[in-house]
Amino acid sequence: MTTDQPAVEEIDAQAAADAAVDVATETPQERSARFEREAMPLLDQMYSAALRTTRNPTDAEDLVQETYAKAFAAFHQYRPGTNLRAWMYRILTNSYINSYRKKQRQPLQSDAAEVEDYQLARAASHSSTGLRSAEAEALDHLPDSDVTRALASIGEDFRMAVYLADVEGFSYKEIADIMDTPIGTVMSRLHRGRKQLRELLTDYAAERGIVRAGEGS
Amino acid sequence: MAQDPRQPDDAVDCAGVLLRLFEFVDNETEPVDRARIQAHLDECGSCLAEYDRDLLLKALVRRACARQSAPAQLRSQILTRITSTQVTVVRRTES
Repeated sequence: MTTDQPAVEEIDAQAAADAAVDVATETPQERSARFEREAMPLLDQMYSAALRTTRNPTDAEDLVQETYAKAFAAFHQYRPGTNLRAWMYRILTNSYINSYRKKQRQPLQSDAAEVEDYQLARAASHSSTGLRSAEAEALDHLPDSDVTRALASIGEDFRMAVYLADVEGFSYKEIADIMDTPIGTVMSRLHRGRKQLRELLTDYAAERGIVRAGEGS
Repeated sequence: MAQDPRQPDDAVDCAGVLLRLFEFVDNETEPVDRARIQAHLDECGSCLAEYDRDLLLKALVRRACARQSAPAQLRSQILTRITSTQVTVVRRTES
């Protein structure tokens, strides 16, 4: 098979070179090229995350534009060979918080005080098995649009934490770095976000008649 | 410390496991706790159901948020900015 695409070995070699580059001696042109090679493949990911964060395509495009502009301007500060995806997410998250949240004047979700609180709630929530599996069965039959609708309905800090953990697969430590919060806060946001999600989805399932009326009461 | 099988200690154990279950689902549990939780799930149907549900929710979110392609125009705008090298960063005015 012949192709114009560079061979896998060449791409690997380029990636290895990019990870070991000396930022101090790099020319602006070399840096631009390296940014293009490393950051542009993340564009779909960043756009998808921006869509979930801002909840509309126009704001998502603005947010991604701003993220890439800032990332490009600060690319000399990015340490080659470290986690570029997390670095980009951090810029995206910061940009969102600074530009959009301020604009919207949304009340902040207070969660710091409730870090311990959820643990008690969780421990008390253990109940019968039969209902759980019926509920799980019902949730699994929900359309994806219900899941994204539920995600759009919960507090934005919760939404971002859940997205970063479940969709992007970031570790708690990485999410803490990206959201600039202690790990305990990340855990609280994840826990409470998922709890709210689960409640919303259970409601949707009932509305759609997937769960028999009264089963959840 | 060996557990006394006559002690009805399940409630305490379940509470302890449920507390850490979402860390377990996220693969963030320390190896020692991991083994302990795994052992508990092997014998406790209620906690296992809870675990299944947490796992399912995580999978649902992941499935629903499948990656979307960025608009072609956005891609070209960003590329233009990068390749023109002389870059000015537009800072949003903050009110």
